[in-house]
Amino acid sequence: MLEVFGRRPYLVLLVMALLLAPVPFLQLNDYIVHVLTLFLIFAVFATGWNITLGLLGLKTLGHHAFFAIGAYASALVSHYFGVSPWITMWLGALIAAVAGIIIGFPILRIRSMPHVAIVTLAFAEIVRLVFANLKDITRGELGFWGIPPFNPIGIGDTAIRFGLGNAAGSFALAAVLFVGVHLILLLLLRGRCGLTFLAIRDAEAAAESLGVRLAAWKLFAFGISAAVVGLSGAVYAHYLMILTPTSVAGPEMLISLLAMIIVGGVGRFFGPIYGALLLTATSELLRDFGDYRMLLYGALIIVFVFIAPAGIAGLKPRLGRKPAEATKPVEAV
Amino acid sequence: MHRNFLKTDQLTVAFGGIVALSNVTLSIAEGRTTAILGPNGAGKTTLFNAIAGAVRPTGGRVFFQGADITKASPSRRCHSGIARTFQITQPFSGLSVRENVMVPLAAGGMSMKQAREEASTYIDFVGLNAKAEDPARVLSTGQRKRLELARALSTHPKLLLLDEVTGGVDRPSIPELLNVIRRLREERNITIVVVEHNMEVLLGLADDAFFLNRGEVIVEGSIAEVADHETVRRIYLGDADAAA
Repeated sequence: MLEVFGRRPYLVLLVMALLLAPVPFLQLNDYIVHVLTLFLIFAVFATGWNITLGLLGLKTLGHHAFFAIGAYASALVSHYFGVSPWITMWLGALIAAVAGIIIGFPILRIRSMPHVAIVTLAFAEIVRLVFANLKDITRGELGFWGIPPFNPIGIGDTAIRFGLGNAAGSFALAAVLFVGVHLILLLLLRGRCGLTFLAIRDAEAAAESLGVRLAAWKLFAFGISAAVVGLSGAVYAHYLMILTPTSVAGPEMLISLLAMIIVGGVGRFFGPIYGALLLTATSELLRDFGDYRMLLYGALIIVFVFIAPAGIAGLKPRLGRKPAEATKPVEAV
Repeated sequence: MHRNFLKTDQLTVAFGGIVALSNVTLSIAEGRTTAILGPNGAGKTTLFNAIAGAVRPTGGRVFFQGADITKASPSRRCHSGIARTFQITQPFSGLSVRENVMVPLAAGGMSMKQAREEASTYIDFVGLNAKAEDPARVLSTGQRKRLELARALSTHPKLLLLDEVTGGVDRPSIPELLNVIRRLREERNITIVVVEHNMEVLLGLADDAFFLNRGEVIVEGSIAEVADHETVRRIYLGDADAAA
């Protein structure tokens, strides 16, 4: 599992946490903190998606549906029933997990990866259309506004506020989500789960012949993956406080997140984080290019895929490997 | 000794209009090494797949230790004591050799710590200790065959299905590989079914044999009898004298 996690994954995560910790106290420009907050939310989203795409090896293209489900479920329940977003965010994750398990059932029967991609993509489109057409509840493409932010937390005399306009608090919340989710996933995936997912990815028939219960493990992977993505969706909803079906379950979200995983490194634990950082920042930096922004963004992805097909996370071992090791001949039996 | 340790009854497998196995009935005795012989396309690997559960038979049944396992999944068959290797090796290439062996141990309920320690036993048995921490993708074909043996062995099989065990392995490495297989039977009393093209290898390894042609068993008996059978020599060995 060295290739997936690297040599010291907990140390890498600790370094990331230490880099994030001072940001709310640095009095940075609100816009920069906003971009960093989005990066953290999208990094969690991309890491969740990478569980099925990179670790389990299933070419799923519909995870933006789980993002939308988590976002809308949490937003709708907190808005209509007055439940605290601190509670509804977990509800959003749970509902997304259930949706993940439900879509996982037909996927179990499909061996062809293009068909897996089409089925999951169609699922996401259905979810988008459902949210767009439930206008009485979601207000459709007009946008569901008025989503309550997370309730403030009081520490001594200071109240930490969240939601758009409260950059430092929102960033801190996203950072806790980011570190917490990645820590839990590290603990989970460095053990039996990760070992089994990678075995299924590399040789499904062999894994099954060695006693791995494919159906149960795949459904579990779908559930965990969708829950993480749904949780990031819920935090996104209460941060931006407005949702439209196309913004969360539309093609732009699909392409952006897929690009983050590909550029960062499919199947590498930290890959999606690097991809999310690079592409969220690049996307914002290219705003001045107006209509050409997405064109330049796409070109950047293509160039990157050509120069580093294993993604940013794959660069380090390749550059760091000693020449003698790289050319070491394979010994016979 | 269980005479019908593994039994197939009228086993038929068809892929669309192509019948790969046709009414194959055979019994394999416990503790023996049995060879499945036949020319390319005879249905040997399909028979293996049907026994291991990777292919659902169109008709007929498979019994293991008297129990009907026809509808059991490959993982259930594994837990009941059937393990296999593959014609084209299927290592978990993103995992190290040790982690490859840990997969079945963890699937059997062992903790990761225990599995890590226990894996050494099987890696040592097949002689891959020097490669234990290497990624499986850097192994040679012969080493991959041995890795598959170690993985299969870690499931504590009662029946081991070996598909093309020397296929793609360089000649000097074959004796060592065969020695590992012989030790499986001698030290662990595992019943072995082996598909192999190399008759020389089979004569030194197997007790019994079934000869398949076009999905049907046409000759069975001891390995010496089958190897010497006129039909086998004509179809399989291309013996000009037998053909005349």
